[in-house]
Amino acid sequence: MKLLNEHDRESCRNVWIISEFLPDGELHAVSFELLGAARTLAEELGCEVWAAALGRDVSKAAPQLISRGADKVIAVEDGRLEYFNDEFECNILERLVCKYRPEILLGAATSRGRALIPRLAGKLYCGLTADCTGLSIDKETGVLLQTRPAFGGNIMATIQSGGFRPQMATVRPKVMKALEADPIRTGEIIYEAVTEKDGEKIKEIIKAVTEAQSNVNLSDANIIVSGGRAVKGPEGFRLLEELASRLGGAVGASRAAVDSGWIAYPHQVGQTGQTVQADLYIACGISGQIQHLIGMQSCKTIVAIDKDDSTPMMQMADIAIKGDLFEIIPKIIEELDKNGINKGGNKQ
Amino acid sequence: MNTEKNYLHKSYHVEIIPPKQDSEKLEEDLILFSSKLERVMNSGFTASITDNAMGLLAFQGHECIEELGIPIKPGQILIHLNTFHTKKDLHEILTGCLKLGITSILAVSGDGSTRLPKLSPADVEAENAASVTSVELISYIRKNFPQFRVGAAFNPYEPEKHEFEKLDRKLAAGASFVITQPIIDRNAAVDRLLREYPELPVVIEAWMSKKLYLLSDVVGYPIPEDAEYDPIATLQKLEDIYSGCGSYLSLLGFKTQYPIIEEMAKEGAV
Amino acid sequence: MKIAVCVKQVPAAGDAKINPETKRIIREGGKAVVNPFDLYAIEEAVRIKERTGGEVIALSMGPEKAKAALTEALSMGVDRAVLLSDRAFGGSDTWATSYALAKAIEKIGGVDLILCGKQAVDGDTAQVGAGIAAKLDIMQAANVWRIEEIGADTVTVKRINERGWDVVRLAYPALLTVVKDINIPRIPKLRDARAARRAEIPVWKPEDIGADPDKIGLKSSPTQVVKTAPPAARGAETLKIDGSSEEAANVFVSELIRRKLV
Repeated sequence: MKLLNEHDRESCRNVWIISEFLPDGELHAVSFELLGAARTLAEELGCEVWAAALGRDVSKAAPQLISRGADKVIAVEDGRLEYFNDEFECNILERLVCKYRPEILLGAATSRGRALIPRLAGKLYCGLTADCTGLSIDKETGVLLQTRPAFGGNIMATIQSGGFRPQMATVRPKVMKALEADPIRTGEIIYEAVTEKDGEKIKEIIKAVTEAQSNVNLSDANIIVSGGRAVKGPEGFRLLEELASRLGGAVGASRAAVDSGWIAYPHQVGQTGQTVQADLYIACGISGQIQHLIGMQSCKTIVAIDKDDSTPMMQMADIAIKGDLFEIIPKIIEELDKNGINKGGNKQ
Repeated sequence: MNTEKNYLHKSYHVEIIPPKQDSEKLEEDLILFSSKLERVMNSGFTASITDNAMGLLAFQGHECIEELGIPIKPGQILIHLNTFHTKKDLHEILTGCLKLGITSILAVSGDGSTRLPKLSPADVEAENAASVTSVELISYIRKNFPQFRVGAAFNPYEPEKHEFEKLDRKLAAGASFVITQPIIDRNAAVDRLLREYPELPVVIEAWMSKKLYLLSDVVGYPIPEDAEYDPIATLQKLEDIYSGCGSYLSLLGFKTQYPIIEEMAKEGAV
Repeated sequence: MKIAVCVKQVPAAGDAKINPETKRIIREGGKAVVNPFDLYAIEEAVRIKERTGGEVIALSMGPEKAKAALTEALSMGVDRAVLLSDRAFGGSDTWATSYALAKAIEKIGGVDLILCGKQAVDGDTAQVGAGIAAKLDIMQAANVWRIEEIGADTVTVKRINERGWDVVRLAYPALLTVVKDINIPRIPKLRDARAARRAEIPVWKPEDIGADPDKIGLKSSPTQVVKTAPPAARGAETLKIDGSSEEAANVFVSELIRRKLV
């Protein structure tokens, strides 16, 4: 294994981010958020921010990455990079990390990042902290301090992997702050070719499909309208969909609702579903089993609508509306209409 | 209907919980289950065997009987069946019961858990229902396994209008007897049940644990932990009030309470 | 087909209680259970074996009591189970854990397919599956929600992501991590549960799997916990809205506008 071990720690420099792309080849907003976090760390360390961009064509993305805080962009272009291929991307990144020796490497805690980055850490023999909510540099030792929720958010653990390089972390979308685009910011684009070896022992991508229905993308949604057992059936979810559509949000669900077959699994929020960080989470008829609360407690504003105001969800909520959701939600929709609020669908 | 009613009268329903899936002493639990069951058989009572009670995973009554070869009188077994199963398991339970000659089922909605699957409306030929409740389950069993007599639960603590509407749907689906939630005194909803459904066999659940406060969740109001409660006296009172009904004994103590119940049964038979 | 399935014992989620001061969950450790995602991996492994024949081996690393998780796997139809347990493994982070599991899979030998749950619900890292694949240098697919085809040389699966899904084909040996929706894990039958409790579960130590002592346990783990702290309060005031539906909706929407949430 090509270890960047303790002995050459001093030779490692700069903060890398692994850029995240959307299916259409545009950059995912989390790439800019990673750059924002990376800039703060780089300023502390007095080093540069590099962005690795792997894709079919990153010519448009590279200058965007620079305008958002990258000093250098490592551009790797190949037709096979249009779709996510764990092995291929890992092979490329492993080679580039060994070549350029970053001190810190940040990735997105997306379904892609959460598969790719641990594979890379596994190959490189270095530490990786998942889903960090805070990143800073220890003033004395200069190592990266990575803070993440542990035990379902019961405690915040601060973790370091300073004995190994690069120090790696993933960050969920919407956690870090992106910098405004600065069109006059300059940087260098380094093109790196794919080698034959990079393409060895890689899987075959047969088909990739982006769902037309956009109200299922919970991880990027700013607003989520979520339903539980008291929604009573698929019909009830139509009502939630309508509210979500007015607000420009996605539709979530508790495990009980998903297991009852009222809504598909990709909508499930919680321990065995998605973890979400929306600005606004409206829980409709969800009593709040711990498995659910763990998945949505990081949302900024939590609203609960329930007949029973003693439930854990009503207690956790910032706004608790006591009443029958089948009566209240139509009135909320009316009220939104009166105020001219209608986003007419999810804008993710 | 009358024979059924008579049958139920003669019999105490003794609730028995099969060993838990996560038991660390499964073999001991099985022996205990087996001895309780045989005792209930010998007393001429009905063993009422629960189905993942409170959403806690347990083995099924019929598989325990079959696996251990417990001698049973099939007419004295009532198997609980809830809606938290796969269709495959539902069929295995029903056919497993029939194989043993067991033909009494108590169909309830039941309590789920993260580990338990839920029957879907399509599983029980109820495509128009939003979810499977005891009503859909009763209907499915009666249509596809007409050999079973199926009972339903009656909850006197629910709003009466709602509960009686639901009861009518359960009866329409094919339920032929009901077992109430535990009561500890005369109850208006049970009175109405007996008044308006004179032909319906009714079994009254009596709470046989001294820990009355455990009933708080069922009755919907808090019962203080130190509430004084005499289960046997309460059972006798209920038998006086509802002399036309059978008695369902939950959380019965087999060491001290059971001999008393046997005595009560002998006296009642005289 | 020889299938290894990795299982972790985790604390069960208890009842939810909310701290009224901080609006945070008060979590009490429940009893130990099989990581929920791993149940789907076990079930899928057993289903594949039932179709193609072969053998399923469940593998776990943990204290002696983690045998209970393996017993459950055996009850569900796994053929045999192995526990990695030794003081020297203690404190392993995800890197060291993947290393040990990978060494154990090498020791089992001839494994075509490795199944893991998407992540363990106690750590939520989703790192061990990919870590094992990295150490074995084999292909991997995460978030698998359908196995489309088990071929002679390849396995074809459907993976879900935030925006949809894709279909990918991997050559054996391959590692898959599965999501909840892939199947409904069976409830063990009494007969199988009794047999599972009688089964011998061998315990492997670092020397049994040829693990490098410098790559296992707390001191060899790249990540170290520096400190822990309670999470920041969520804000303690709950705005309670009551009254008629019209009033409630009116107050609520005004509040959303005031808080600039819409």
